[in-house]
Amino acid sequence: MSSPLTEFAQPVHELHVAVRELAGAAAALELPGLAGREWYELLTNKLVPQLSEEAFLIVAVVGGTNIGKTVVFNHIAGSRASSTSPLASGTKHPTCLIPEGFDESHDFKALFPGFVIRPSVQPEDALQESETHWLFWRTESTLPDNLVVLDTPDIDSEARINWERADQIRQSADVLVAILTQQKYNDAAVKEFFRRAAEEDKAVLIVFNQTQLPEDEAYWPLWIGTFCEETGVHPEHVYLAPYDRRAAEENRLEFYEREWPPSESMNSVSSSATDEGHDLLTDLSELRFAEIKLRTLEGSLAQLLDDRVGLPSYLLEIEQRTQEFQRAAELLSAHQLAKIDKWPEVPSRLLVREIREWWAGQREGWTASIHGVYNTIGRGLTWPVRAIHERIQGEVISPIEVYRRQEWEAILDVVEKVYAKLTWMSELGNPLLRPRLESLLGGTSRAELLRTLEEAHHKVDLELELKQLVSDELENFRSDSPQYYEFIRRIDGIAAAARPATSVVLFVTGFGPLGDAVAPVLAETAVQSLVHIAGDVAGGTVAAAAGETAISGTAATGAGYLEAKFRKLNVAFTARRAAWVAGLLKDHLLGSLPEELQHAAGIADGAETQRVRELMDQINGRLVASPDRQAVSTHVGSPEES
Amino acid sequence: MSHAEIARLEMLAEVDGLTADVRQWSERESHWEPINRCAGLLRRVLGRVESLRVRLEAPLVVATFGGTGTGKSSLVNALVGDDIAQSGRQRPTTRRPVLIAHSETDLDLLGLPQDLCDVERNDSSLLRDTVIIDCPDPDTTDSDEANSNLERLRKILPFCDVLIYTSTQQKYRSARVVDELAEAATGCRLVFVQTHADLDEDIREDWREHLSGRYEVPDVFFVDSLRALEEQRQGHRPTGDMGRLLDFLSRQLASSERVTVRRANVVDLLDAGLERCVGIVDERWPKLEELNQALRAQHESLRQKMATNLQRELMVSRNLWERRLLTAVTATWGFSPFSSVLRLYNGLGALIASFTLFRARNSAQMALLGAIQGYRWLEGRSEEKVAEASLERATALGLDDTLLRESQLVIAGHVGAASLDPSLTAPKNLREIRGQAVAVEQDFIGDAASGVDAVIDDLAIRNSGWFVRGLYELLFISYLAYVLFRIGKNFFYESFLDREAILSTDFYIPATVFLVLWTGWLVIAFTHRLRRGLTRRIEGLSQDLVNRQMEETLFPELQQVCEESARDRLRLHQLHERSSQLRQTIATSTALGSAKRDSLVESKVVTVTGS
Repeated sequence: MSSPLTEFAQPVHELHVAVRELAGAAAALELPGLAGREWYELLTNKLVPQLSEEAFLIVAVVGGTNIGKTVVFNHIAGSRASSTSPLASGTKHPTCLIPEGFDESHDFKALFPGFVIRPSVQPEDALQESETHWLFWRTESTLPDNLVVLDTPDIDSEARINWERADQIRQSADVLVAILTQQKYNDAAVKEFFRRAAEEDKAVLIVFNQTQLPEDEAYWPLWIGTFCEETGVHPEHVYLAPYDRRAAEENRLEFYEREWPPSESMNSVSSSATDEGHDLLTDLSELRFAEIKLRTLEGSLAQLLDDRVGLPSYLLEIEQRTQEFQRAAELLSAHQLAKIDKWPEVPSRLLVREIREWWAGQREGWTASIHGVYNTIGRGLTWPVRAIHERIQGEVISPIEVYRRQEWEAILDVVEKVYAKLTWMSELGNPLLRPRLESLLGGTSRAELLRTLEEAHHKVDLELELKQLVSDELENFRSDSPQYYEFIRRIDGIAAAARPATSVVLFVTGFGPLGDAVAPVLAETAVQSLVHIAGDVAGGTVAAAAGETAISGTAATGAGYLEAKFRKLNVAFTARRAAWVAGLLKDHLLGSLPEELQHAAGIADGAETQRVRELMDQINGRLVASPDRQAVSTHVGSPEES
Repeated sequence: MSHAEIARLEMLAEVDGLTADVRQWSERESHWEPINRCAGLLRRVLGRVESLRVRLEAPLVVATFGGTGTGKSSLVNALVGDDIAQSGRQRPTTRRPVLIAHSETDLDLLGLPQDLCDVERNDSSLLRDTVIIDCPDPDTTDSDEANSNLERLRKILPFCDVLIYTSTQQKYRSARVVDELAEAATGCRLVFVQTHADLDEDIREDWREHLSGRYEVPDVFFVDSLRALEEQRQGHRPTGDMGRLLDFLSRQLASSERVTVRRANVVDLLDAGLERCVGIVDERWPKLEELNQALRAQHESLRQKMATNLQRELMVSRNLWERRLLTAVTATWGFSPFSSVLRLYNGLGALIASFTLFRARNSAQMALLGAIQGYRWLEGRSEEKVAEASLERATALGLDDTLLRESQLVIAGHVGAASLDPSLTAPKNLREIRGQAVAVEQDFIGDAASGVDAVIDDLAIRNSGWFVRGLYELLFISYLAYVLFRIGKNFFYESFLDREAILSTDFYIPATVFLVLWTGWLVIAFTHRLRRGLTRRIEGLSQDLVNRQMEETLFPELQQVCEESARDRLRLHQLHERSSQLRQTIATSTALGSAKRDSLVESKVVTVTGS
């Protein structure tokens, strides 16, 4: 007899793999792991191992601590298969009885993936204290060949590891033999356990242990009534076991069956007098196996696909979490990190010198050598004058050093503003952004950043940067405009007039709105990095516009054009420097934060999620399609409908 | 009064003292957030302590505590000897707490929430000294949802002085009850009772073992409540452990023990609160320590920077050194020919310098001008309060704006991480820090100036020995003597006897020239000698300055807050030490059980006092 739901084995197996892949991909979302999620445990413990297996029933004896689970188990086994103890939470590991030959026809180990399977040597095995989840097994000749019986640890003691083990066994089981007593039938922990069992549609047999008959005859319907009402369990059979320690020890406890729900006539007839003890094993072997198996598997599938507690809820969780990341990312990028209105300009003197030098390099043939001679003579003649000047003025700091100092101040400005902004953002209290930003804002990381920036700033050869820029720009200029000679000739005249003011704005890009004034000069440096600079040239735009009209018009040699050109050089340099700082800040301050957020924000639409959804739909579709399983499909409900 | 009585009173007085000290501590305001949090927590704890103090002499409130079906109500009936609390097989039986009191007990005195319970009167002997509350169970409801047994239980527990914890063979390891007891046991004495002796086996050994991790367990009783009640109905005294339990309760809860029990509970509460506080503060302490370290590191690098700059400038200012040294030397020499020359040279130098150098351009030069003059100059400056000027000067020793801004940025980060009041570093505009920087520099220059003075004095003394002095005087005088001899010989002897011509200006001019040259050479040689080893000394001086403790700092307020917080923390530790010692003494001196320390306390204390 093969399992009635074999057709689901393949997709469920694939789903299991896909879900694990998804969990791996979703690690960035910092969600709690899969372990401990009821639907996932059902998937691993119940559906994956049992869907393709031959039909057999797993019966587990479950209940609170020290109420005689093992005693009942021993009665089913027909021998003292497991040790009992008057002390609480004695049983630490499940013990499993299997029919002879079962382990040859079934992959027994795969049935209980959460446990290390060990053969049982002596009855005391299950009492050992250990971190590992063990499961002890032995064959029992009296068992029907499609019945597996388990004794489990308790579900309510302070040894919470026992709960875990019992939960796993419950997920694997088809039939639960629930042991209740008058002290424990109403305990919260016990009820919680059976509430889950009811949701998974397990078949439940209730053994009400340690009853005092006949006094309790009047009470048990109340007790079981309360229990069933609060947990949603519909018991297949109800038995009462008397409080008889000696009988329990000697394995000859009587189990009296009671009708449930109690019929009207029962109240009048005192049935206890005519009671005969039932053999639990016989009753168990008379269960309708196929029906129960189908029921529990379907119950588990239903749990797996349940909108509220199943896989869809996990997907929803991923989606919501993704949105949180999206919000965090948007928050980070919605505000400019810093705006600096006065980035220092290169002194015109320096710029002019670079242009001259470049120009000198452009000369060819005899003009070049003549100029060289004149330059040398000029330098020789002016030497005494310069020497005296230096003497009087004291040590002259080179203009590039002055610029370097100014620039460092501007960088400090940026850093201060960025920190202030980030502090503000972390105080806004976005739960995702906050801890990440707080680690960036600590004093040690600040000191480190400053040191890194300072070192990097020291290493930069500003002169070389300037040279590079001038040569690039002028190279372009020469090919664009043949009258460049005129420009070079007149450059001295406008040097004083050109005073551009550049303001630089830093953004974290990638999400949300972005400043619209992205200066074209930055295209190549800024687009690559995630930190964006919007360069806005005060007056510069006007000048640039003026320059363009000048080019298009005839007055290509006009002073306005030259001024625009010169400003453009200056602005380009400023922007280059700002981009450099932004790059450093991105690498050393923000690190991979923007990328991480962006990555996490994309998980809900990722391939792994798609795959899981597909498989889920597939399984759902099949459930709905098979007409004989209306019962399941009604309470599964497809996620699209919700 | 007996010796034991005195000891008891002494212990009570200690409890009062501890309470007073905790109150004092909790009234402080700090800039460090954890201290404030702890103070708030302790104030709440003290609120509860206060309510205990009010009913110090009232009958003790004894409550049952245990899982459903563990026979709480049956036990109460057996204790009172009457069927008062409803007991039964349907679970849970008791939903509302039942308060049982002697007909003469004034319940208003106890401040009990009588609207939460059903009140029953009974004249049992045990009730003369106590009030008994039969509580609902903590384990049939899933959580502390409204109007559940658990919620009702939690409302009543803060008013209880003693809990009778009942359990059975089935339930003694139920997680729910064990957890709830851990929350409830703070501020209560405990009595442990295993019930259902008629049916169950004796598991007291195992139970005690499980309890001993968290509780002091002097005794565990194993009782059969139903039989005991029956016995009392028939007019007998209960036998077995129930009899023992009754004796125990009437002895331990007698009116003479009330104060002791309540004080023990007070210590329990205080200790729980203090332990939590110590936890809070210690958890955050490393961050504050980090800030402290950062402040110190800043400080050190500041000194290093200033010292390096000072050293460089001292090296450059040779002229000033010379002048100071010469002044010092001539002062020790007093009047003599060579010292007059030195004075003259120095005076001329000063005259020239006064045009340029006397206006000390930088701090090093100021330090060189000497302590007294330097201070005067500085005071004059600081009175002017010209930010520009002080800034300019600060730059000389390297305390420029960039440096200050960097410091501020880093320290602000540390302040944020240490959860100090952020207003402490919130950029109060640069000017304030600049002012502080000036103070730091002033402090530093004060040190430097006295260091320089010491160096100069030392060099002056070293070069004022009789040999050096004699040598230079001799060399100087010998030239003068020679010239005088020539003039004298010419005037007195040659012009009279040999009729030679009197020396003309042809002689005096070269003589003067040579005098100047000779004097100049001597002065140069001498000053050179003075300056010998100066470089080494300047290095030594700057090293010395780096190591010296600085009084002024860039962030004096922060420094102060750090120190205060460290003191508060230390005090908290002391208080906790005291409370746990007291707790230990009390726990071992009474036969009643109690909780050992656990960490689930804060929530309880807060929820309890909040209700």
